[in-house]
Amino acid sequence: MANDKTNCIVNRSPRFSFLSEDQKQTIFHGMLKVLQDTGANVHHEQARDIFKKHGCKVDGVRVYIPPNLVRQALQSVPLMTTIFDWEGNPRIYIEENRSYFGPGPTLVYFRDPWTLERRKCLRKDATTVARVCDALPNIGFVEGLVTISDVPRGTDDVFEFADMIQNTTTPIMAWSYHRGGARDLHRIGCIMAGGEEAFKKKPNYILYSEPISPLVSDFHAIDKLMYCAEHGIPQDYSPCAIGGGTVPATHAGQLVVALSESMVGVVLSQLINPGTCIILGGVQSILDMRRGIYSYGAPELNVLSGGLTEMARYCGLPMFGTAGCTDTKVMEIQSGIEATLQIHTSMLTGANFVHDCGYTESGKTGDIFQTVMDDEIISMARIIEEGIEVTEETLAVDVINSVGSGGHYLYEDHTMKWFRKHWRPTLMDRQSYEDWDKSGRKTMQDRIMEKTRDILENHEGPISRVPEEVKKDIQKVIDGAVERVEKEGL
Amino acid sequence: MSEKFGKIADGLLHGKIDEVAALTQELLDEGVDPDEVLQKGLFAGMDVVGKKFKNCEMFIPEVLRSAKAMHAAMDKLRPVLSEEGGSRAGTVVMATVQGDLHDIGKNLAGMMMEGAGFNIIDMGIDRKTEDIVDMVKEKKPQILGLSALLTTTMPKMGEVINALKEAGIRDQVKVIVGGAPVTDDFAREIGADAYAPNASIGTEKALELIKA
Ligand code: B12
Repeated sequence: MANDKTNCIVNRSPRFSFLSEDQKQTIFHGMLKVLQDTGANVHHEQARDIFKKHGCKVDGVRVYIPPNLVRQALQSVPLMTTIFDWEGNPRIYIEENRSYFGPGPTLVYFRDPWTLERRKCLRKDATTVARVCDALPNIGFVEGLVTISDVPRGTDDVFEFADMIQNTTTPIMAWSYHRGGARDLHRIGCIMAGGEEAFKKKPNYILYSEPISPLVSDFHAIDKLMYCAEHGIPQDYSPCAIGGGTVPATHAGQLVVALSESMVGVVLSQLINPGTCIILGGVQSILDMRRGIYSYGAPELNVLSGGLTEMARYCGLPMFGTAGCTDTKVMEIQSGIEATLQIHTSMLTGANFVHDCGYTESGKTGDIFQTVMDDEIISMARIIEEGIEVTEETLAVDVINSVGSGGHYLYEDHTMKWFRKHWRPTLMDRQSYEDWDKSGRKTMQDRIMEKTRDILENHEGPISRVPEEVKKDIQKVIDGAVERVEKEGL
Repeated sequence: MSEKFGKIADGLLHGKIDEVAALTQELLDEGVDPDEVLQKGLFAGMDVVGKKFKNCEMFIPEVLRSAKAMHAAMDKLRPVLSEEGGSRAGTVVMATVQGDLHDIGKNLAGMMMEGAGFNIIDMGIDRKTEDIVDMVKEKKPQILGLSALLTTTMPKMGEVINALKEAGIRDQVKVIVGGAPVTDDFAREIGADAYAPNASIGTEKALELIKA
């Protein structure tokens, strides 16, 4: 049927926002003022020289960035970037209104999926996370959830990436301690892509570094940022700002500081390599003033992440958000509530990369069961995001007229076609009482554990498709990393 | 007089910095024994603060303001305190170890201890083992507080303890450690004197250490 509607607004998905255009402008101006008047400490001489050369006032380690330079940088950031899997398929479109979810990095402990004990992270856990994420359809990128403890100290960044990239085709948001590690990661990324040129055309990972609130860029964070910019590696430069601790307790104030810190990296990356991909955002939450913990479940996290997402979009930059995480110690009811609100809000505001699915204990313990639960929540939130499609066909006036009053729609072709669009649970229980009773009265937790263990036992993953040669080359990089850290220290 | 002690305690509870300092001065001017001011006024007040914080009746910023008021009063008292009285108010050197840039937890722990009457020397973040040992030599604190938030920097705490041994000053200072990945077991392993999972327990432990 021809579409003869004219001058008509069609909602593709629900729109939701915290900030008006005017409020965004005010926050943006706050950021410009901070960067111009207070500036930020940049503990990297070469970086400061670059700022200076482009008209920034530099006083000791302090760099003052004029508004014009910010504007210039925001003009050269790319409109879109595509991240591929190592087999060359496009997987992530970094552009407005596309959200991808994934786990977070580097936790202190890992919850063993078999014994359920909270213990030190082991090398095998990174593989567990990669394989499980590989099997989860709603996880769009992967981080490791672990700080591996059973490899030489200071090389775990390289081991983790090497193991993970071979065990999933879902692109990885990687991290490293220093430039040395970043270089090794890049070698591995290039090996997997089939060479440096191939990587340039089809980047297969992103590197994540963090400025320090308030308003500090330490040497290694900036050094890694420079390395990425020099090599055209898509990267993320975003702080963990602690509301009331390292940034103001007011949300607007927190947005100003967080934005300013990331902007230091954005400007530098664009001065080094105009057009290189950079993402801002981070963990934005509050210090719990009773317990003294940085809260990963506070409702404020949602407001702050949503607000910053809108600010990122205002700046024309992609957003690294936070969701799927919790303050409680294991995947359970509290973590389900917190994760649901976070994922739903992130989806509505449209953050591009949303990390920390699987973070428990306020960012101390990785729980892959939480990631598996988050996967289901994400798929539900996506349905809400799809909104209501209004076309002649969905309006179904013909069918309504033909069924008339009374009767039912179960025989209709229209139903046959459209019911398939309804969301289908993989974990949520909709059984009858009798069936539920007969099948062992399983709770959501039971089902999540079962699904996770089933994946671990049965999901193939792509490892068998990694050529032997490639495996050997990667092993060489790992050996090199061990030597490097032995020689240079951490 | 006891009324003024009560006022000091109350002022502390409500974070009235100037008022607490002024009241302390007044009492000293009146010739009251400084140890008594410390015990009946300041410590009495801070004990209430500590309890209230533990019971979730007070929040961190409120406690920190109380700590600041305590500090202001201590500035007046310290010069005239007896050695015995001052001993509960020992000195703590605080540092985040080398390679580690996390500081808010260490700051919090330091500020809370300040509230219990300790004099805090904060060395900041990313501090080399040698520098920490030098500071201990120079300032002769009763307590050294070390913070590490990364599994990779945790071993530096053990390194500091070994360096203290090598310098022959290990028995002159108590070492208390903290930070997200640090555990009781780890503290024992590296030979620290105490471990604290948070700032208020840190303060309790510090007070115990100084009594021991
Ligand atoms: C904020 C934060 C940052 C900020 C720090 C800003 C700042 N000004 O401090 C930034 C963004 C800079 C940062 C950087 C990094 N971080 Co960080 N960070 C955190 C986070 C989210 C919160 C820490 C915090 O401030 N908590 C709030 C305070 C109040 O709590 P606290 O520090 O634990 O302190 C309390 C107690 O531990 C205790 N305490 C602490 N010290 C002491 C000392 C004494 C003497 C006593 C008595 C008590 C005591 O009392 C405090 C108050 O109750 C933690 C997550 C977590 N759950 O801890 C990760 C975390 C510590 N970071 C982590 C990592 C990996 C990093 C990076 C390596 C990331 C990267 N790839 O670049 C870098 C490292 C930089 C460096 N070289 O140090 C990991 C560590 C994992 C591991 N196994 O080691 C954690 C656990 C999070 C994670 N999963 O990624 N981080």
